[in-house]
Amino acid sequence: MTRQQFQALSLGLVAAVVLALPLFVRSATYLHILILLYLYAYLTTSWNLVGGFAGVLPLGHATFVGIGAYTSTILSLQYGVTPWIGMLAGGLLSVFVGVLIGLPTFKMRGAYFALATIAFAEGIRVMVENIDQLGPLKINGPRGLQIPPLNFGLANFMFPGKEPYYYIIVTMLAAVLAFTYFISRSKLGYYLSAGGEEPEAAMALGVNVARCKLIAMAMSSFLTALAGTFWAQFTLYIHPKSVISLDLSFEIAFIALIGGRGSIGGPILGAIVLRPVSDICRIYFGDKLPGLHLIIFGVVLILVMIFLPRGLQEPFSGLYNKVADRLTSTVPRQE
Amino acid sequence: MSFLEVNNIDVYYGDVQVIFDLTLHVDEGEVVSIIGGNGAGKSTLLRTISGLISPERGQILFEGVPIHRSPPEVIVGRGIVQVPEGRRLFTLMSVRDNLIVGAYNQRADREKERTLEEVSSLFPRLRERESQLAMTLSGGEQQMVAIGRGLMARPKLLMLDEPSLGLAPLLMKNIFQTVRKIADQGTTVVLVEQDVKNSLSLSDRAYILEHGRTVMEGPAEELLENPHVKVAYLGL
Repeated sequence: MTRQQFQALSLGLVAAVVLALPLFVRSATYLHILILLYLYAYLTTSWNLVGGFAGVLPLGHATFVGIGAYTSTILSLQYGVTPWIGMLAGGLLSVFVGVLIGLPTFKMRGAYFALATIAFAEGIRVMVENIDQLGPLKINGPRGLQIPPLNFGLANFMFPGKEPYYYIIVTMLAAVLAFTYFISRSKLGYYLSAGGEEPEAAMALGVNVARCKLIAMAMSSFLTALAGTFWAQFTLYIHPKSVISLDLSFEIAFIALIGGRGSIGGPILGAIVLRPVSDICRIYFGDKLPGLHLIIFGVVLILVMIFLPRGLQEPFSGLYNKVADRLTSTVPRQE
Repeated sequence: MSFLEVNNIDVYYGDVQVIFDLTLHVDEGEVVSIIGGNGAGKSTLLRTISGLISPERGQILFEGVPIHRSPPEVIVGRGIVQVPEGRRLFTLMSVRDNLIVGAYNQRADREKERTLEEVSSLFPRLRERESQLAMTLSGGEQQMVAIGRGLMARPKLLMLDEPSLGLAPLLMKNIFQTVRKIADQGTTVVLVEQDVKNSLSLSDRAYILEHGRTVMEGPAEELLENPHVKVAYLGL
């Protein structure tokens, strides 16, 4: 077996398991948890384009989730536009806002950039919470928007069961992973990580670091907004505290940092490890200790930073390589 | 008109003035050394020419075109490339990928494969290490990557900031020989160094910087014999 064959085989195996899972997981609760797991893996992978490859730490990505969710919901509730088109519109609006946020903030370094993105995200959340009506658009302030579950069907992005949502988010996740893989091996990917690690050296070589970051930000905000629409259609109820909350922004960053920033597998591993913690905390301690999951994330993050500074993906990819080497030992490994 | 002209520049970091009314020129094909102690403003001078910072006053002309208000990517596009102090490699990328990043500008991108060939023949060592991560290289090899990465941008003027920093004497000699070779192949070189003896011996001319001002300039052999230089920089 060659290495390529082994890779294809393991990829196929994972795909088969993921696709077959709803046949065995009949409980709506567990399916719901799985869908959220994929959703967060998707969100974190999108975040990774900026937060991982470009070496900055954006902590306000919930903004883009919110833009996606609100855009498609308002368009479908008030104008009868299918959420699929609303999804695209939300993505484009999100690109605009993302570039607007990126232009001034990418000049800042380290913690200042992170703080600036929090400020933008919180500013937008407070604005949405305080606006009932924006021109012709009904935003409904802190009460949020409810989508009546009336017209089920693919065209309306609305289904009575969870299975269709499952397959939609799996498709979205697969697509965003393939896209990230492609970017990480493109010139843009090189320039991003060069600019992230040694901005001065990259600039002295003529790499337009600011422009590369803006492109990454545009892609990341577009993809993140798509998940916002999915969220809205999946839960059929959005409000500022759910889709634009700081908690959401932080959880995305936590998953990335613990799983491994700037790697393809990191966000997935992070989501697999952390999402169940979130859900269990909410199910069992949601009333007595709200926010317990963030405390646990903090502790896990500290441990991971001390012992595995490159995230959980490091031991995992090491293990994968070992297994692959063992099984493909007849052919020398191509670096 | 010279190849590179720096006319009466003042450079500040915030409120602190680092370079005072500095003027120098470099002719095409020359190797010019910039010499001075720590804090003399050598690296700041290079960063200003590269466009990483802008001078408060004065102007910089390259091939007759003013560049002191241009962003770094435009200046690199015109053919000025800086190899920063302390190598500053992209440690998690392979040697080859480090080199490829150097060929960002359009002109260099078109000739990427050819330049890669040239860099490999200049540093045969790098060909062996091609797929290794940059962080796993020795100091000398890392310096080769840093210089090679600069060459990948196809500079007309290559500015090296302390290429001998932290290298063993034998490797230092090696690097200086390579710099001479690069110059002989037609690239103009500005060399910032603390190792005054070695850099003067391979240079055509030199400027001596103290506290952000040029205090002396002239042909390199003359400066090697100059009493002030001997006392202050050569320890003789």
